[in-house]
Amino acid sequence: MASASTKDSKIAVNYWDPLRDTDSEVLSATASTRIRRDLMTIFKDPPPGLFVVGDESDIRYVHAIIVGVMDTPYEGGFFYFILKCPSDYPIVPPKVKFMTTDAGRVRFNPNLYKNGKVCLSILGTWTGPAWSPAQQISTVLLSIQSLMNEKPYFNEPGYEKERWPGDVERYNEILRHETLRVAVCGMLENECHLIIPEQLKEIMETTFLQFYDLYMETSKNKIDLDGKSYTDPFGAGAVVTFEYAKILERLETIRGNLAKKHAIPVDLPLTDGEGSDEKDDNDE
Amino acid sequence: MKLTIKNWTGVATWKWVANDDNCGICRMAFDGCCPDCKLPGDDCPLVWGQCSHCFHMHCIVKWLQSQPVNQQCPMCRQEWKFNNK
Repeated sequence: MASASTKDSKIAVNYWDPLRDTDSEVLSATASTRIRRDLMTIFKDPPPGLFVVGDESDIRYVHAIIVGVMDTPYEGGFFYFILKCPSDYPIVPPKVKFMTTDAGRVRFNPNLYKNGKVCLSILGTWTGPAWSPAQQISTVLLSIQSLMNEKPYFNEPGYEKERWPGDVERYNEILRHETLRVAVCGMLENECHLIIPEQLKEIMETTFLQFYDLYMETSKNKIDLDGKSYTDPFGAGAVVTFEYAKILERLETIRGNLAKKHAIPVDLPLTDGEGSDEKDDNDE
Repeated sequence: MKLTIKNWTGVATWKWVANDDNCGICRMAFDGCCPDCKLPGDDCPLVWGQCSHCFHMHCIVKWLQSQPVNQQCPMCRQEWKFNNK
């Protein structure tokens, strides 16, 4: 880690991080009604591949899953974000942290750092058009979704052209593999022990079952890459070794477990407590 | 027959004439008030910019106060100037 200059305190370095934010001010009336309205807008007319829930205990926090868009290297992946709205929202933008990083090991995009920082001009973490109070939670998430496009290599300044022929495709191969390994298998197994709200977990499970054939097909198509290693052009020397055979095994195991879980007869009367941690949400 | 009116109560309705239903900042209805106010009307007025966008005065003032330089309309990012029509 680079040594911080005397000017930069530790707090300033992490100014973007909603989980290190010590702001404990009471929300203004404007902020709390605005957050509720922002959420209602998304619930009423959900943008494709965008799922949000408000935090149960603190209205300032919003949990979101962006599902990787089809025909991008992120397709079908589950990308988890935590947003925190400041007490003077929407005058000031929310803080956003990207959580699907394999515990700080994977940089999924030139703008999505492995420490969770999201580089986006409207969040004040990048140059370009700044925040305006006409923006809202859905526009923040849609902007992030648009970063996760077909050729994210070109997002990086100075990389408007390939540095080496084939860079774009190699970078996409890395992202495709890491999406399946970390953002599909890793998220469903929750190997990083993220505290994801139940509603979002359920969305991931049903979406996984819908996309299962696609995950399997991609992994089978790419299995010839197994054993090869590519260097992530933006990963500070990080090397990705392809292991699609392992991913195939994990996908099958996850599907098996979900099938068991969802095959429980839904009309089974919950007379005793045993095996009944399904509680509600099981109406057919 | 002759009637004598002893007293009467006038009733009127009013609404803001704006080109939108909601304030782009707080997203509350213009015919209501901003979230910091209790009663709509003259105490929570609307203001227009020269760009023709309209906000609760309390909302746009908060935004402008947070922007020491480069004050822009939240909707169109043009330089904000009050339209004193």
